[in-house]
Amino acid sequence: MRRRSFIQCIAGLTVVSSFLPSCQQQRVISGSIIGASAHTGHLLRDKNFAAPVTVTEHSVVVVGGGISGLSAARQLHRQGITDMVILDLEKEMGGNAACGKNQISAYPWGAHYVPIPNNDLTAYIDFMRECGVVTSPTDAPLPTYHDYYICFDPEERLYINGQWQEGLVPHYGVPDAERKQVQAFLHQMQVFREAKGQDGKDAFTIPMDNASKDPAFTALDTITMKEWLHQQGWTTPYLQWYVNYCTRDDYGTNYDEISAWVGIQYFASRKGKGVNVEHQDVLTWPEGNGWLAGHLKKELQPYFHNEALVARIQEEDGKLSIDYFDVKESRLKRIRAQQCILAVPQFVAGRILQDEARIRKVHQHIQYSPWMVANLRVGDLEERTGFPSSWDNVIYNSPSLGYVKATHQQVTQEKAVRNLTYYLPLTGGQPAEERKAAIERTHTEWVKMIVNDLDKVHPNIAEAIEEVNIMIWGHAMSKPVPGMAHGNIRQELAASVNNRLHFAHTDLAGNSLFEEAFYQGLSAAQKVITQLSGKI
Amino acid sequence: MSKKESGAQWLLLTAVFVIATCGLIYELVAGTLASYLLGDSITQFSTIIGVYLFSMGIGSFLSKYFNTNLLAWFIRIELLVGMVGGFSSALLFIVFPMAASFRIILYAIVLITGVLVGLEIPLLMRILENKVAFKELVSRVFTFDYIGALLASLIFPLLLVPHLGLIRTSLFFGIMNVGVGWYLAYRFSKDIRQGALLKVTAILLLAAQVVCFVFSEKIMSFSEALTYDDNVVYSTSTPYQRIVITKNKHELRLFLNGNLQFSTADEYRYHEALVHPAFSSLSKPEQVLVLGGGDGLAVREILKYPTVQQVILVDLDPAMTQLFSRQRMLAKLNDSSLLNPKVRVYNADAFTWLRNNKIRFDAIVVDFPDPSNFSIGKLYSTSFYQLLKHALRPDGIAVIQSTSPFVAPKSFWCVDTTLRAVGLHTVAYHNYVPSFGEWGYIMATPTPPQEWFGHLPSPLKYLNPTTLQQMLTFPEDMKAHQLLDINKLNNQALVKYFEEEWGKYLER
Ligand SMILES: Cc1cc2nc3c(=O)[nH]c(=O)nc-3n(C[C@H](O)[C@H](O)[C@H](O)COP(=O)(O)OP(=O)(O)OC[C@H]3O[C@@H](n4cnc5c(N)ncnc54)[C@H](O)[C@@H]3O)c2cc1C
Repeated sequence: MRRRSFIQCIAGLTVVSSFLPSCQQQRVISGSIIGASAHTGHLLRDKNFAAPVTVTEHSVVVVGGGISGLSAARQLHRQGITDMVILDLEKEMGGNAACGKNQISAYPWGAHYVPIPNNDLTAYIDFMRECGVVTSPTDAPLPTYHDYYICFDPEERLYINGQWQEGLVPHYGVPDAERKQVQAFLHQMQVFREAKGQDGKDAFTIPMDNASKDPAFTALDTITMKEWLHQQGWTTPYLQWYVNYCTRDDYGTNYDEISAWVGIQYFASRKGKGVNVEHQDVLTWPEGNGWLAGHLKKELQPYFHNEALVARIQEEDGKLSIDYFDVKESRLKRIRAQQCILAVPQFVAGRILQDEARIRKVHQHIQYSPWMVANLRVGDLEERTGFPSSWDNVIYNSPSLGYVKATHQQVTQEKAVRNLTYYLPLTGGQPAEERKAAIERTHTEWVKMIVNDLDKVHPNIAEAIEEVNIMIWGHAMSKPVPGMAHGNIRQELAASVNNRLHFAHTDLAGNSLFEEAFYQGLSAAQKVITQLSGKI
Repeated sequence: MSKKESGAQWLLLTAVFVIATCGLIYELVAGTLASYLLGDSITQFSTIIGVYLFSMGIGSFLSKYFNTNLLAWFIRIELLVGMVGGFSSALLFIVFPMAASFRIILYAIVLITGVLVGLEIPLLMRILENKVAFKELVSRVFTFDYIGALLASLIFPLLLVPHLGLIRTSLFFGIMNVGVGWYLAYRFSKDIRQGALLKVTAILLLAAQVVCFVFSEKIMSFSEALTYDDNVVYSTSTPYQRIVITKNKHELRLFLNGNLQFSTADEYRYHEALVHPAFSSLSKPEQVLVLGGGDGLAVREILKYPTVQQVILVDLDPAMTQLFSRQRMLAKLNDSSLLNPKVRVYNADAFTWLRNNKIRFDAIVVDFPDPSNFSIGKLYSTSFYQLLKHALRPDGIAVIQSTSPFVAPKSFWCVDTTLRAVGLHTVAYHNYVPSFGEWGYIMATPTPPQEWFGHLPSPLKYLNPTTLQQMLTFPEDMKAHQLLDINKLNNQALVKYFEEEWGKYLER
């Protein structure tokens, strides 16, 4: 070997070694796309089922094991109704509150927190007490919440103007005049939080059907949030971004589409108080609302039939015939029931009932936003300056909602390896197109999108990601566009059919929240109980 | 003598020069490392130089057994010296925590380099013996040898240690050694058998050393040497923290994530104050829990109470507890307390451990790092103290190290407020630990004893009944003078106080 080539070789070695980390960027990041059984679900649309092979009899069938269905079933069980079946097409009950688990921690696949319950929601607070979330007795003037479930500090941070700031309301690097607009907006939200209508009811509250019907407020349901902001003269981009972030976060809907009334509801309906909490606090668990779903499920195991796709419901001889496709056995089965609660989204309900009028109405009035949720297992992340890593980590002007640290609620010392749950409501274009594009996108393409987004705040994200699993929610939630909250469409769709078939779903609540689902379930259960006891 | 011959001769003499320089450098590195790591530099240097010179003698003696292929042997030895010497300090840093074997490895390395260097001069003289007149040969070889030694002894303290550090110094000279070996093999490849093999070996060695040289920054970062005033004798990154031990003439210090945990000069003040006020107030401490404190120093104090039957120590980091039980110099500091049969060590997260714990203790010593981040802040929260209260017998006492009431009075009294918030009775006290400044501790108990402070065990270096009483009074500048928040998981009030107060203090 000549001296020169030797030197080149040595130099080459050093160069190679300094390139090693960047070579890793090319590595394949493991993981898969999960998708909420879209394939099974589509059978409903595409398949002609043969006649059922078995027939069983039950007094009540609950279709759909999301929070609405589970809460209905739990109430029925508690009222002594035990001849019941709960059918869900997924392997696990929980619907949008699904969760997963790896060697590090549990993590959410969808819903991940609930705000402090409003104090008038007694049934809900009782449930929270049973779960151990509320630790004080029923007669305590104010509830006390378990410290392990109140979101630990530091709660939220926003990457804006080159730095992480505490909290999500933009203030770092925001000029004074614009900051004042933000303040004025937040002040107005406080005013709305306390406002009452002529009828004496709260202007904004949860469930939203308990809110005042005072036209002074319901008029806000005829314009979009963006229009309303402009009417108020609040045009600073920082505020626009913040409000748009919030409406996308809670409703998967852009602020220029969402009803102003529902947009305000996000800020003004939460007024829960407790001994050790404020209304802006949230309750969360590593597995998100999957933890609450777990508690709802506790007594219900015997009733569960999973991987059961309900295909059609007909009325025959004063009873309901509920036909479901048993995915494991690949056979159609029938249950004949006196009462049924249909706790599925409305676009599914229309098909199951083969009710053309309903299908048309749903098509005309309800739009579903698709979502992508990714769970990332990451190693040690490089951090930008400013506020330290928090539960909710949001990037200003990003298409995503940022990520939530699933490992945040662990009491142990923080480790370098964590689970991050990344949320991306696909609100860029028309839902149908976004849905199609989302289904076609490969794992590698998703990973690239996520890495490009998070790279701004964690420059080494490409090397630090160890695994990415992706969930596509094709019809994550219905959009609360103007008219949904105070128009008539929800009542029309929610009306029971022949006092035998009842509906419960957050689609019908007008906005997709755990509390709404919980009360959807309770009120449907009450209808069933009334019918059954009337007959006895 | 032909031109070529004379060129070869000068080349070999240059090799002598390099060998001499490198050889001495390795000895200096070994001596310096030994005095860093083991202390007592006079003994270390004189034993190492002694062993080195003696093994050179062994080398010279052995040289008579080499009879053929002298040049090839010379090159092989050159490569070997480069390898052993070049990696020596990296190796010594790595094996240091494995205690018992450290000295053996140290002297083995000195011995091997000595023997090899000792072999080289006689071999070289024999290679050149027929080419140069004997008196010329002796004169030249030794001149080069001694000049090399002079150069080494000058550049080592002036240039190398300050600029390269020990690991890179030895690697640098390893590279020089191997480089010379490679060049000789290249130059004389026709004259020796297996020339190609030697060249390949040399290149592989060179590559390995260059890679190590580049990454030695990672092995022990440059900044670290700058951050600490003293010599870093040990450092490692565990999944939980960076452990660094430094040493100077008078003391050894332990740093976790850059924060001083103790100095041997005055740690007894801290550990006596941490343990004895609570223990002397207990009539019969039997079951004891220590949370954190993986250095075993608090346990050393605890074992001074003969009534103690069991000490459970829970420390997150196995690297810490292993270091302080196995490394002889460190185990000496804690009187081998971690190896005591009464002591059981668990490497677990204190919060989870306490949540799953069913035992009730007479005394709990909480010796966590200061609440400088949100992660550690959880270990000072109401939720944690509720578990702590639950783990205490009704008349048991816990004591919590609670940062400096002088630098951070709000932080200190926030810990007190938080302990009271879960229904514990508290007694706060403080003392002066020169390495830390004024330091604070809080005792907490479900039911206060009839009388605080009873008999102190002996011998103690710091505490006596009078100092015990003195520790209880707080001057005005160590009080909070305001209502403080309770530290909870969802407000982390303490971390905020701590950041504010220490931030301000360190800015000065
Ligand atoms: C990504 C994401 C994040 C969210 N984050 C939050 C949050 O943080 N906090 C919050 O309060 N809310 C959140 N939500 C809203 C969430 O939708 C509600 O809180 C709630 O979980 C909705 O429950 P549900 O029972 O009304 O509906 P779903 O969860 O939609 O339940 C419907 C169930 O019906 C089943 N089903 C559908 N078709 C059939 C069929 N043909 N046969 C049988 N079974 C069928 C489905 O498998 C599903 O289990 C989020 C939603 C999404 C998608």
